[in-house]
Amino acid sequence: MRNTQIFLCLVLLAVCAAVTAFAGDIKVIANPSVGASSVSADEIKGVFLATKTSLSDGSHVEPVLEKDGPAHEAFLKQFIGKTDTALETYYRSLVFTGKASMPKTLPADAEMVAYVAKTKGAIGYVSAGASTAGVKTLEVK
Amino acid sequence: MRIRGSWLLAAIFAAPCLLNAQFDFTLDGRDVQVHSFASQGFALSNVNNYLTMNTSGGSFGLTDFGFNASTAITDKLRVGAQLYDYNLGRLGDYHPQLDWAYADYKFRDWLGIRGGKVKTVQGLSHDTQDMEFLHTWALMPQSVYPLDTRGDTISHIGGDLYGDIGIKKMGTFSYTLFGGLRPNDPDGGYIYGVNTMSHVPAPQGGFMYITGQTKDVTYYGGPVYGADLHWATPLKGLLLGASYMIQDITTTGHYTEPVVVPYKLTTVTDKATQFYAEYVLGNLRFAGEYRSEPKIVQLNEPNGVLVQGFQDSRSGYVSLSYRFTKWLELGSYHSRYIDNWPTIHSDPRNHIFDQTFTARFDINKNVDFKIEGHFINGAAIDGVLDHGFYAAPNPSGLQPTMDMLVMRVGYHM
Repeated sequence: MRNTQIFLCLVLLAVCAAVTAFAGDIKVIANPSVGASSVSADEIKGVFLATKTSLSDGSHVEPVLEKDGPAHEAFLKQFIGKTDTALETYYRSLVFTGKASMPKTLPADAEMVAYVAKTKGAIGYVSAGASTAGVKTLEVK
Repeated sequence: MRIRGSWLLAAIFAAPCLLNAQFDFTLDGRDVQVHSFASQGFALSNVNNYLTMNTSGGSFGLTDFGFNASTAITDKLRVGAQLYDYNLGRLGDYHPQLDWAYADYKFRDWLGIRGGKVKTVQGLSHDTQDMEFLHTWALMPQSVYPLDTRGDTISHIGGDLYGDIGIKKMGTFSYTLFGGLRPNDPDGGYIYGVNTMSHVPAPQGGFMYITGQTKDVTYYGGPVYGADLHWATPLKGLLLGASYMIQDITTTGHYTEPVVVPYKLTTVTDKATQFYAEYVLGNLRFAGEYRSEPKIVQLNEPNGVLVQGFQDSRSGYVSLSYRFTKWLELGSYHSRYIDNWPTIHSDPRNHIFDQTFTARFDINKNVDFKIEGHFINGAAIDGVLDHGFYAAPNPSGLQPTMDMLVMRVGYHM
């Protein structure tokens, strides 16, 4: 009985830890040319699913993704609602019908920040602890 | 011809592996993306020959490949084109086709226009049905996505008005209004079927065509227009949709027997309605589609008498798939096609039911392999048109049930 209680507590702690990790461990960043200072979760989803090409202030944006890693996983879970495999399939369906280009993918936070900093309209995400020098951090409404 | 196709296929497969990179390049300061794909299948059935392949003896006649290039001219304007080539049994014959080629201008997120040769948006997968790497299945549910008539139905030469409208708590609506002309695929299943099938009723109690090379039909096409509405509902992972299409097809050629006279088939009415749903929960995907297409056609007999043919076909499928790992996905679908709804559904001459089980292995991000079992009941040979089971490849008739193994390897980049 006691072992079962301990096990259930550990499971609960693990779930809480996982949820906490997903909730606040990423920052949405953009090139300084993007006029908006905040963005809604729906806008993020639209931009990264290629149904939106601009933010509410009219800024044209281009999504940039990380190849994998915890920030990527958290971003997909929190905003996109698709697994990495499903998102790749989705992009391919657009690319092979001519409706969009394959978005740029980068290996890690540092490369993401560097690319977003130099690319007009770029919008991406990094771990909460990553340095964001040269880019704008967007508040998620 | 086949040797040329094999070389092309080998080149498509080999080139990107050798380069180990995408063919992206910059032209006049603009990034141009180039992507390619290819697949090779094998089908083996215990009886009958399906989709014009010699499946009863084992057939490798399931090959396709293509590549595309596209670029953004401005933030709002995109252009691109895709070349496609295929061989499916006695169809295709490796004659290259311009699959799509268009310019796309997006005024706003809720309003865009594309013009040229455009893949027709209908249902869940109409515009992507031929790209095996996007789907769990080696063969898509043939009731809704028949591979043999792909070239006749997958695109239109004309344009689309489209857009995405997000309504905060209501989710996102994606609409497409399309209109144009159906392209003519002289190597496709429609013309092949009309040319090799004679409209003599199957003998009572039997299960056999009477077949003959009685026509030389060379053209299939005509205006098509319609609409599609996708609704990504507020319930995460649930997508609902509906499509509507009207087409006015004309088929022309000559009778070759018993006299050489012109042949012309015209559409009196042809309206297709489709409803669909998809629910994705993590790695689990459920999908279903239903399509109704009543049509009346008119054609002249060799003696000049005009006759009408009526067909009220219904088709649909439900599917379930689950991705266990990055490299393994398992799935199953049940597909149903009823050739003429008002007549007896249980008659194998009026239906095709297909229960399918698939395992998909993703060898890496660019190569997949699928193995699939089909358990097919019926051949729907009584209709105005053939539906996968053609007369000419089955000169001894057809058995009412058939089991088939399909394996397919695909590459994309």
